Amino acid sequence: MIETSHISKRYIIPHEKKMTAVETAIGYLKHTVTYEPFFALQDITFRVESGEAVGVMGKNGSGKTTLLKILSGIISPSEGTYSLKGSVAPFFSLGVGFHHELTARENIYLYGALLGIPRERITEREKTIFAFAGVERFRDTKLKHFSSGMVSRLAFALMIQTDSDIFLLDELFSTGDKDFVPQSLSVLEAYKNKGKTIVLASHDLDLLNRHCSRSMLLHEGRLIDFGKTEEVIQHYIKL
Amino acid sequence: MNLLRKNANMIRELAWSDFKLKYYGSFLGLLWSFLRPVFMLGILYLVFYSFFKVNVEHYVWFLLIGIVFWNFFSDATKDGMQNIVSKAHILKNINISPLIIVISSLLQSFLTFMITLIVLFLILFAFGFYPTASFFLFWFYVALTTILVLGTLLVTIPLSARFKDFGHLWDIFLQMLFWMTPIVYSESLVPASYIKWYLLNPLSRVIMDARTTILYHAFPDPKQIFITLGIVSLILLLGCVIFKRFGKTLTEEL
Ligand SMILES: Nc1ncnc2c1ncn2[C@@H]1O[C@H](COP(=O)(O)OP(=O)(O)O)[C@@H](O)[C@H]1O
Ligand SMILES: [Mg+2]
Repeated sequence: MIETSHISKRYIIPHEKKMTAVETAIGYLKHTVTYEPFFALQDITFRVESGEAVGVMGKNGSGKTTLLKILSGIISPSEGTYSLKGSVAPFFSLGVGFHHELTARENIYLYGALLGIPRERITEREKTIFAFAGVERFRDTKLKHFSSGMVSRLAFALMIQTDSDIFLLDELFSTGDKDFVPQSLSVLEAYKNKGKTIVLASHDLDLLNRHCSRSMLLHEGRLIDFGKTEEVIQHYIKL
Repeated sequence: MNLLRKNANMIRELAWSDFKLKYYGSFLGLLWSFLRPVFMLGILYLVFYSFFKVNVEHYVWFLLIGIVFWNFFSDATKDGMQNIVSKAHILKNINISPLIIVISSLLQSFLTFMITLIVLFLILFAFGFYPTASFFLFWFYVALTTILVLGTLLVTIPLSARFKDFGHLWDIFLQMLFWMTPIVYSESLVPASYIKWYLLNPLSRVIMDARTTILYHAFPDPKQIFITLGIVSLILLLGCVIFKRFGKTLTEEL
């Protein structure tokens, strides 16, 4: 279950932001430390039940990523509160912890550790992970020799080994070949059936329609619609 | 503490992979980390022993110990700041505490420090410096320096995330600190009117006493040990306060 109450995220817009200590010091001296707040998210309140798969749509810059980052605890909201029942697995970009100079095998241990997967479990499931990613022959190859699709597959194969209850996915399926997306989605379907909660931000309306019963629509940082995916899609198209 | 226990696996993997990457590929990888202090030793010895004629007993070893401690402090603090930037993408995409990056960075620097110390002792023993009772106290100073580095990282890392030019300021600071620490010269050269301030530098205190324990086989003054402990604790405390205050928003500043 995910519940948010009046969440807002305020940023100081970049051209006003003092990036260096010297600038800040000068700014203080000249009394020019003015800034204009910018709301990436404003007054977001909703509730997602356990075992639900919910879509998030909205134009670029509407706040989708910001919302998922807040829910995953990577950034904190400026105002408002939220609560989650269960552990969260945030999937923002496939393979962030990977290092190109390390081999595939070394990488799954490193990345696994970052995702909080115990070492023993990775050892146990090493075969499955490589098989799912379809890179069994390259387990001792350095990652820099992998194609970006292969890297995504490996990352995804590893990510789904986490035991989390809530999966937050942000536009994950842009890389990978024709088999990768359906293969990944079938895994998600299986998770959904196991009662896991999934929040999926995507520009692929077709994908949202197939996998999410309900969706929310963000527009300029505000939640302007939350209902049956089909209807929300119609709303989104008319924007 | 709880955080450390829960994430021990993560910290270990991060530190180990960084360590591997740093010395990867080349057989000479680790050797490079010895060549730098050796060359530093060579040039400082030439200038200060042959040109300036410093009058210090066992000057080579005196210098070497200073350099090894100094390099740990300066490399660990510089690496820590670099590490948080190079791991920004991880912090921004996976929910892990920045503290984990700090600790793993420290651990990796510590590993290099330990290997350097082991080599240092092999050399010292080969030249007839056998460990005596005071040798145990030496490890106390190693631990103290590590805590000092931790405290410093907790201050500098949030600042370097917030201010893009902090790295430059830190370089200047390190350069000044190098000459404000008895590495190439003995603290006995410092005029009496300055010494009170001079000895507020915890790195000076640690290096001086570490030398005492292994070169002169003596025990430092217990009162001074407590003062050093106090200064280091204060820095750690300051680090904790700053990190607690700014650590949360650190990811967003990167
Ligand atoms: N660290 C930041 N500082 C300032 N503005 C930001 C920051 N992160 C995101 N934003 C702004 O917040 C808005 C929402 O961004 P985002 O959540 O990434 O949108 P989406 O994922 O829907 O494309 C954008 O206008 C973006 O410029
Ligand atoms: Mg986005």
